[in-house]
Amino acid sequence: MPNEVRDDLKYTTSHEWIRIKGKQATVGITDHAQSELTDIVFVELPTVGKTVNKGDELCVVESVKSVSEVYAPVSGTVTAVNTKLDDTPELINKSPYHDGWIVELEIKNPTDLTSLLDPAAYKKLA
Amino acid sequence: MAIRSPLYPLQVKLKARFTEFAGFEMPIQYSSIINEHLAVRRHVGLFDVSHMSNVWITGKDAEKLISFSTVEDAARIADGRSQYTEILHDDGTIIDDTIFMHLGDRYMMIPNAGMNTIVTDWLNKQAKTHNLKATATDVSRDYVILAIQGPRSQETLQKITDTNLAGVKFFGCGTTKVAGVDCIISHTGYTGELGFELQITPTSKAERVFTAILDAGKEHGIAPVGLGARDTLRLEKAFMLAGNEFAGGHTPLEATLAWTVFWEHPFIGKETLLAQKTKGTYDRMTCLECTEKGIPRHGCDIHKGNEKVGTVTSGTLSPCLNTGIAMGYVHQDLREPGTILQIMVRDKPIAAKVIKPPFVPKEWTQTHIEAV
Repeated sequence: MPNEVRDDLKYTTSHEWIRIKGKQATVGITDHAQSELTDIVFVELPTVGKTVNKGDELCVVESVKSVSEVYAPVSGTVTAVNTKLDDTPELINKSPYHDGWIVELEIKNPTDLTSLLDPAAYKKLA
Repeated sequence: MAIRSPLYPLQVKLKARFTEFAGFEMPIQYSSIINEHLAVRRHVGLFDVSHMSNVWITGKDAEKLISFSTVEDAARIADGRSQYTEILHDDGTIIDDTIFMHLGDRYMMIPNAGMNTIVTDWLNKQAKTHNLKATATDVSRDYVILAIQGPRSQETLQKITDTNLAGVKFFGCGTTKVAGVDCIISHTGYTGELGFELQITPTSKAERVFTAILDAGKEHGIAPVGLGARDTLRLEKAFMLAGNEFAGGHTPLEATLAWTVFWEHPFIGKETLLAQKTKGTYDRMTCLECTEKGIPRHGCDIHKGNEKVGTVTSGTLSPCLNTGIAMGYVHQDLREPGTILQIMVRDKPIAAKVIKPPFVPKEWTQTHIEAV
């Protein structure tokens, strides 16, 4: 099955997706990333209020065999985390672009957005 | 360049993902580690473990050579039986753990992946030094090794062999035909489940056996299983993995393998082992089950409060228990079952309770076995 790339999202080379609504952004990992990891069994969520710079480690996603960092696609402040992932981390496998979202960020520098990949560019990567 | 199993082309067709392990490129998973793990616990799974080594030990002193080079007295192991044991350095630390099979006038030893040359050279050196008429021959690349494991393994395999498998005792071994192909069969495994292992030569015949087992197991929900689930399956049973639990020179006593040591015979490393036994104080392999969320990994520190008391040698999420589990060496005074220690995961202490192995008892399989 080909990995899904959604047209309404932006992407990073490290396989995060970002959905932008004004100054708010929702971040998760792509279908390609979850399918590479398989069996996501633990997500170490950041605390709300944490500030991150673009490219910083945002949180950690673990499969049975591996530990992977999720990086901040843009600089900002964590305004919400998906606490459902505490008990059902597999939501990232089942629904990477919706129920498996990881954090919401308040975007600090709108200029960060220009360096994100559009769906066509990410498709070439994944 | 990593060595590939002769079954590599078939595994590509089965959509395996590969990993490099001890110089081999082997399937790490086909579908998902958790699916494959649970298939073995609940029904049946098929592993290619050709990365393991094969060494023939022949000659009239073959039995003596094994006895002298392992903690087992091979004279106790009758024809048609196999035995788990360890090969030690002079200082009592483990070179490798292995199974040897007594097959008529000769023995086949199964050292770990990448240990074929080290073990073969070591055995031949001992034979020469002690004037024993025995030869060790590395035939690792001549064999494909398959493991069929799980509560439905016997029913599955029985469909394609004339040997009455119910009559093969635990750790029994011999020769048979599976799907018309000559194999050495043993009632052994590394999963803690009912299971068998097959040594197949020439390797060109192995694909036929692999495919026939998958077909025979279809009605039982058989899954091809990679090294990922092999690791989680063995860890739930607290079986040692050479390179993890033995790296850094541990003795069988430290590795809690004293039960494998047959003291009433001369063997390499015996003196230092006896001295350690007499002294009685040493760090021992300890099993820890996390009581908080978090997954311990190889290399994590084990703490008692603020003090470091050990290091995790193997850690994972247990697919059966859905908790973190770990093994590591800690001082004997800290390993009373129920003792709470902390495993440091990314600088955060995760509480973990010392348990008496295994993490997942036999009863788990009995209560979770599923008809397909």
